[in-house]
Amino acid sequence: MREVSVVGVGMVPFGKYRDKTLADIAWPAVKHAIQDAGVQKKDIEVAYCGTALGGMMSGQRILKSVGITGLPIVNVENACSSSSSAFRQAWIGVASGIYDVALVIGVEKLTKFGGGTLPLEKEDFEVTHGLVMPALYGMRAQRYMHDFGLAPDTLAKVAVKARAHGALNEDAQFRKPVTVEEVMAARAVAEPFTLLHCCPSGDGAAAAVICPTEMAARFTSKAPIRVLASEVNSGRYMTGFRDMTTPEITVRGAHEAYEIAGVGPEDLDVLEVHDAFTIAEILYYEALGLCARGDAARLIEDGDTSLGGRIPVNPSGGLLAKGHPIGATGVAQIVEVVRQLRGECRNRQVEGAKVALTHCTGGGISGFDHGACSIHIFAR
Amino acid sequence: MNEAMGEAPFLPGDGIAIGDDGRPRLTGSECADCGARVYPAVAVCHACMSENLRPLALSPVGTLYSWSVVHVAPKGWTTPYIAAYVDLPEGVRVFTHVVGTYAACLAIDMKMRLCTAVLGTGEDGKPMASYAFTPD
Repeated sequence: MREVSVVGVGMVPFGKYRDKTLADIAWPAVKHAIQDAGVQKKDIEVAYCGTALGGMMSGQRILKSVGITGLPIVNVENACSSSSSAFRQAWIGVASGIYDVALVIGVEKLTKFGGGTLPLEKEDFEVTHGLVMPALYGMRAQRYMHDFGLAPDTLAKVAVKARAHGALNEDAQFRKPVTVEEVMAARAVAEPFTLLHCCPSGDGAAAAVICPTEMAARFTSKAPIRVLASEVNSGRYMTGFRDMTTPEITVRGAHEAYEIAGVGPEDLDVLEVHDAFTIAEILYYEALGLCARGDAARLIEDGDTSLGGRIPVNPSGGLLAKGHPIGATGVAQIVEVVRQLRGECRNRQVEGAKVALTHCTGGGISGFDHGACSIHIFAR
Repeated sequence: MNEAMGEAPFLPGDGIAIGDDGRPRLTGSECADCGARVYPAVAVCHACMSENLRPLALSPVGTLYSWSVVHVAPKGWTTPYIAAYVDLPEGVRVFTHVVGTYAACLAIDMKMRLCTAVLGTGEDGKPMASYAFTPD
């Protein structure tokens, strides 16, 4: 396998684009990534488009608007992990030597559903009985708070951190800082969550161009951001008594990704993790090995994972502040860490960042912790 | 049909039966070859792919694993409602609504008993009924 690097990234600010088509939301991200990479349209040999709810031929609809057609275009659906899974498909294609230059797109337009909780698969038993994503995470939170004594205001501080980071990111959907009091006083969604504990619904797109590391200098003078590990897993189906305070798919995926990359959690400088709800970030600190089981609250309370802290998590604002147009999230996380590793993030830059991890899960079906999870590790 | 429910049909796939004592029971599946147990009932065993499955009568009493009071839900559900997981002695975890109590009265690991309830209104305008659990 050849070593692969990201040479170009682009995204559009996440937000609500009710009057735009999926293609019109996405093409600026694609154009930006191509220009950032310094490649020509004709250099792109394959494109993978990740979207969960974008509909048929999303990649073709987007790429025809910028005249990138006639190449293999593959659309990838894996719920919220759609575009991180698409990125892995592109990585396989380039690492294996089948392709030299691949384009990855992540895109979603959730405003077409009119707001509310994410529409889930109606054939699923628990969904037909009233399971919604905030309730699933809410139950994880209640159990974790019971088992490990996590305080409600510590949980709220995850949202405060996310909003503080998002305030520094011009691509974030929410740019206004909030206080613990505001988080706790917002309207209830699924207890213990108020609205500010939950990622927003919205629209957005992100794109990346990858090629073999040895080829990067042909296109760009920017530092190639090397892919040290590209990992995708499905959850393990269980009918029995799952421990909902530890996400097995992330624990397993992280173990694999660290082994592939030859690095450990102690080597990471910055992470973008799937904080769909505040409790998720707490669970992922432990699952990714940033701390021991039950110790995650301390990282939040001590500011370790805030910008300026020991190991900043979600400097982009994460899903909670940057937003979560679900199929776009995986590549958007990669956009952020590529910019961090290049040192392009100005007032939210993690100084001297050399190794980064992205983590993106996809859930919403019975019997799984999550249906999908994708972890990538990058280095400059 | 439980008299208290009127004519409200149960949601499809529930596997609810009302016993001679008037109380509801849930039925899942047990694999006759490997012993794996699931709820709701299935046609093939996820563990060994056997199609030799038999009905599994589930205990009406279990323990509350966790819950969340849901205030925002798709159209049809009567909000707020309490979503929960209840663990049954057969080793099966059931997603359920908790009724007949307040969230403040709930505690993790408390004993819960199976019942039936109207949980909302279907697209056809008719009540949606299903099993639920209530503190024992």
